[in-house]
Order: sequence, then C-alpha cells, then structure tokens
Amino acid sequence: MSNVPKSVAAQAAAIAAPLTRQSRAEQDRDLVRQAQGGSEAAFEELVRRHQQRVFALVNGILRRREDVEDVAQQVFLKAFVSLRRFDQRSAFSTWLYKISVNECWDYLRKKKVRPLVYESDLSDEQVSRLDGIVSRGRPAEAPSDRAEARDLLDRMLATLPDQDRQLLLLKEVEGFSVEELAEILDLNVNTVKVRLFRARGRIMDHYRRRIRARGSAVNSPGAGERKTTL
Amino acid sequence: MEYEAKLEDYLGGHLSGADARELAEHLQRCELCGAALEDARASVRLLQLAEVAPDPGPAFPRVVMARIRSELETGREARGLWQLFISLAWRFAATATLALLVMVTVEVAQHQRPPAPNVALVRSAEVRDLFTTDADRIPATRDDMLLMVAETEHGSH
Repeated sequence: MSNVPKSVAAQAAAIAAPLTRQSRAEQDRDLVRQAQGGSEAAFEELVRRHQQRVFALVNGILRRREDVEDVAQQVFLKAFVSLRRFDQRSAFSTWLYKISVNECWDYLRKKKVRPLVYESDLSDEQVSRLDGIVSRGRPAEAPSDRAEARDLLDRMLATLPDQDRQLLLLKEVEGFSVEELAEILDLNVNTVKVRLFRARGRIMDHYRRRIRARGSAVNSPGAGERKTTL
Repeated sequence: MEYEAKLEDYLGGHLSGADARELAEHLQRCELCGAALEDARASVRLLQLAEVAPDPGPAFPRVVMARIRSELETGREARGLWQLFISLAWRFAATATLALLVMVTVEVAQHQRPPAPNVALVRSAEVRDLFTTDADRIPATRDDMLLMVAETEHGSH
C-alpha cells in the first residue's frame, strides 16, 4: 500500500467517497423503512450513524457545550416522533439536520440566549501568541496556551453576527461542506460561498482591530487595514 | 459577488482547470482580491483553534432510546386520561343529542296533526243552529213562524 503513489490513492479515495456516501444513504433508507415499521433497533442504529454530525451541527450553532447533548437528544426524539411522516424524498441526513437547525433556533428563542460580549482586551503576550498561530500557522504548544487561544477566538466569534459565526464554525470547525450547508439552511450554494467569504473577512477585520487596539506592531497577515468588500 | 464565490471555491481547492488559471492570473493583477484571499487563508488558521463538538460517546444511542421510551410512556399515560375524558364527553354528548332528537320529533309530530274537534263546541253550534234565526227572515206573523219551524224541522231530518 505504501508503494501506491499519493495521487493514485487520492484519486481512489475521491472515487470511493461518493460511493461510500451513496451506500450510506441507501443503508439509511433501509433503516428508515424498518424504523417506520416499528423497529426501535433500526432507529437506534440511525442515531449511532448520525449522532456525531448532529452534535457538530448543534455545537456549531449553539457554542454551549453543556447544552449540546440535551438538544441533540431532543433532535432525535423529534425525528422519532415525525419519522412516519418522512417520505424519504430527501436524504435522511438532510431531514435530520434540518430538524437539528430548527431545534437550535427554538432553544435559542426559548432561552433567549445571546452571545457573550467580552469587553476585556488582549494583553501583548496574548496578542503575540495568537498572532503566531494565525500568521505563521504555529500551533499552540502547551494545553494552557491552546485553551487561552480558544478563549480569545471565542471572544472574537462572539462579536460576529449569528449567521456569520455559525457558517464559519460549521464549515471550518465541524467540517460541513458548502453544499450541505446550503441544503440544511435552505440557501443557494453561491449565497453560502459569498456569505462565508465575507464572514472570513469580517473576523479578520476584527482580529486586526484587536491587535491595533493593543498598539502592537505585530507582523500579522493584515497588519494594515484591508477592505474585504470586492 | 461572483468573485467572492470564486475565491471561496479557490480557497477550498474546488476551482479547477480554466477557472483556476483565470483566477490565479487575476490575483496577480488585483491587490484587493489577493489581500482578501490572504485574509481568508488566515481565517482558516484562526478557526483551527476552535473546539470541535464533544464526542457523543458510545452510550448516547441507548440514552436517546431510553428517553424516547420514557417520553412515549408519559405520553401514553397522559393520552390514557385524556381518552377517558373524551370517551365520557362523547357518551354525554350522544345521550343529550338523542334526548333532544326525541323531544324535537314529538314537538313536530304534535304540530303537524290536525286539531281534534271540540265536541262541546260542535254540539253547542248544532243546538244554536236550531234556534238561530235568519235576521232577514224575522217572522212577521204567527203563520210565518210556524212555517219557519216546520222548514227547520224538515231540513234537520
């Protein structure tokens, strides 16, 4: 296997990926039919197959780890109750992810959760550490550094509009594709691409403002103000 | 806007062939697009810091199924009480409707039947007929009166 050139392996993986997706979708269809016929074991298998993605989606939208499991359970409960009405015209995963998104909106509405606004600014040391990661791709070494860097990122994410933050997290952190996001959020694929790209510009603008606020002459990728609107 | 979508594709490596070459040439000429793409790349690095979703763990499906069973059981109990109430309500409504129907039928039947003749009134009318006289025919003499009585007697037989 080690003799196989990387490009060939990549091509094989590229061919196998859609096939795997297709067979997974077919297996899902079978399991859904069985679950609709009353098989709890089939539904449990569906939960097992989709739990990680539902967690990722809920986490990407809520960013409240303590509530992710509860909301995810609620998602599967709703899916179980509505399963008889699911006509399989769309993939089970798409249907389930839409339930997840709606459940997250309901949760945010009921709890009236608003992103925390962090007023405190960064220290020179924090800026320097963060800049090492962002501009030079240098990973944080110590766990405490990583935790601190995450905290700083969360502060910046909290200042973004909800949709920008969710798109960025779902795409870059939780690994959803643009096409999946378009389907889940009922948006045009091109709209998702444009919004994502603008969101990237916004978070980097914010990052630069933070750095400039510290008066630090850090050699960041955007030390000068840049216009992101093309 | 079209360029933003293309730049997003380029960033993800989803732009191929002629489109990718065209964009690469554009990026060499256009500083704004170059800077925007550099920002986008930096944002990818920045977002790698974010914490991914927690792992549901192998027990999660069992927890979900237990919750589903519990919710269904609670729902069944609530539905049981509700069904009892609904059933009683239906019985009461059915009985009331039947009673109302009987009352209405009786009332309608009574209104449609011709009224029974009042024997007392008929009798008195008949008796009155014997003695009532035609106002235009008031007997003038004793003979007229006898003749009138004789006519009446004759008519009634």
